[in-house]
Amino acid sequence: MQVFVQLLITGIAMGFIYALVGIEYTLIWNATGLLNFSHDKFILFGAYMFAGTYVLGLGLPPVLAILFAVLTMFLFGIVSAFVIFNPLSKLSTNLFAVIGTVILGRIMIESVRLIWGPLPFTLDNFLRGSIHFGSVVVSKAHLVIIVVCSLITAGLQVFFKTTKTGKAMRCVSENKTAASLMGINVPMNIAFTIGLSAIVCATIGILVIPIFNVELQMSSMIGLKGFASGVIGGFGYLPGAIVGGILLGVVEIFGSMLIPSVYKDCLSFVLLIIFLLVRPSGILGNKR
Amino acid sequence: MLKVNGIDVYYGKVQALFDVSIEVGDREIVSIIGANGAGKTTLMKSIMGINKPKNGTIEYNGQVISGLPPHKVVSKKIVYIPEGREIFPNMTVQENLEMGAYSVKLSKAEMERHLEEQYEIFPRLKERAKQKAGSMSGGEQQMLAIARGLMSDPELLMLDEPSLGLAPVIVDDMFDVIVRVNKVRNIPIAIVEQNAFMAMSISDRTYVLEVGNLVTHGESKTLMDSDEIKKAYLGG
Repeated sequence: MQVFVQLLITGIAMGFIYALVGIEYTLIWNATGLLNFSHDKFILFGAYMFAGTYVLGLGLPPVLAILFAVLTMFLFGIVSAFVIFNPLSKLSTNLFAVIGTVILGRIMIESVRLIWGPLPFTLDNFLRGSIHFGSVVVSKAHLVIIVVCSLITAGLQVFFKTTKTGKAMRCVSENKTAASLMGINVPMNIAFTIGLSAIVCATIGILVIPIFNVELQMSSMIGLKGFASGVIGGFGYLPGAIVGGILLGVVEIFGSMLIPSVYKDCLSFVLLIIFLLVRPSGILGNKR
Repeated sequence: MLKVNGIDVYYGKVQALFDVSIEVGDREIVSIIGANGAGKTTLMKSIMGINKPKNGTIEYNGQVISGLPPHKVVSKKIVYIPEGREIFPNMTVQENLEMGAYSVKLSKAEMERHLEEQYEIFPRLKERAKQKAGSMSGGEQQMLAIARGLMSDPELLMLDEPSLGLAPVIVDDMFDVIVRVNKVRNIPIAIVEQNAFMAMSISDRTYVLEVGNLVTHGESKTLMDSDEIKKAYLGG
């Protein structure tokens, strides 16, 4: 029983990470109709910015470092919107913008290599250790992931439902012409959405440091699985990304009890292919 | 109030408007009629800044507005209700209305008052306030589009094919509402229509567009009696 609970918590924690990845690229997809192929590099960048520069480089306390990393990534998102997303998506086909995001990803990962070096490192005292609930042992990192991710998903829902900017973002994702006719500055709004997506990316990057350490490949697998979770839950639909992500996390962790754990990573993609064949619209796909 | 001075508009290499000039004065209703592809919608979109004229200027209250992006034009209190409604289908009716007031700063009480005003003119919208806008009928969606446009207290209202795809009974209602808005709010209205008879009968003046050229304009009453217009647009 206690193993079951421990595994469930680990699964849900990883599921929330996938869900956040799903949310992060769905935001950009809804706002621009583009897939951000550099999204895992955004996650990577956030983690390096936090751990490499703000904690180890400048010696800031974690809370302040998180704040700075998130803010830096937000500005980075806005800049990349005006340099890449907005100008390139005006061209005759989406292909230019898609290639633009791929290249942006390459530039980012090579910059990471140049700035912070190719060697992996970690933060020793950041979210380490475990907490005991009776006989159940839960790692601190997983618990923090669950709490923070729930807060972010709930916060985003409130943001989109109640704030003027949030509502304007929904308008832009539904109908850009009509949004501009309401007086919404569409390019600015899109930039803000990409900034928001970058904030979520930075948070993911920071949260997974205790699990994957800080290294160049830390985000590639969660990037892919987060993409899968979006498709499984219902593409382009935020609650879908959450459902898909958590399902994926839980299935993966229990699956690894049944099959050798080297094949653990295959499970999500097998699930993705099954969904693409049987139910391509995803679990919540036809609910919107 | 609004002055369009000889604009040329292109889609890529294709010229859609040739030296078109129109004027909309205070308090009047102006209709712009013409067949499909005459350039009526292009003209509206050029005024809103969605299309950029290559030559010519657009002035509003003495200020040049051609070249401004759409959200800047909207902030001058010009509201355009586009062809085919263009509502936000996955948002509720009330959210749609609230977004109509995006360009103006309203307190909570003012927002309530603005919503009530719209619900008074369009009682159907009140019944459906919490419903997704995309689930309503075409006529209701058109009502919503107009109500949404009125939320920002426009000083110039432009409607594009408000009668498109509506049942004849509803078309009558729609034009009643347009006339009422003009009278009650004292704002000028520019209306683009294929339903030439309806548009001309409620408007003070009419412009006639043909394949991107302005062919004639004048008092709606006079034009309605002219044989050419009768033959081409009024069915005999």
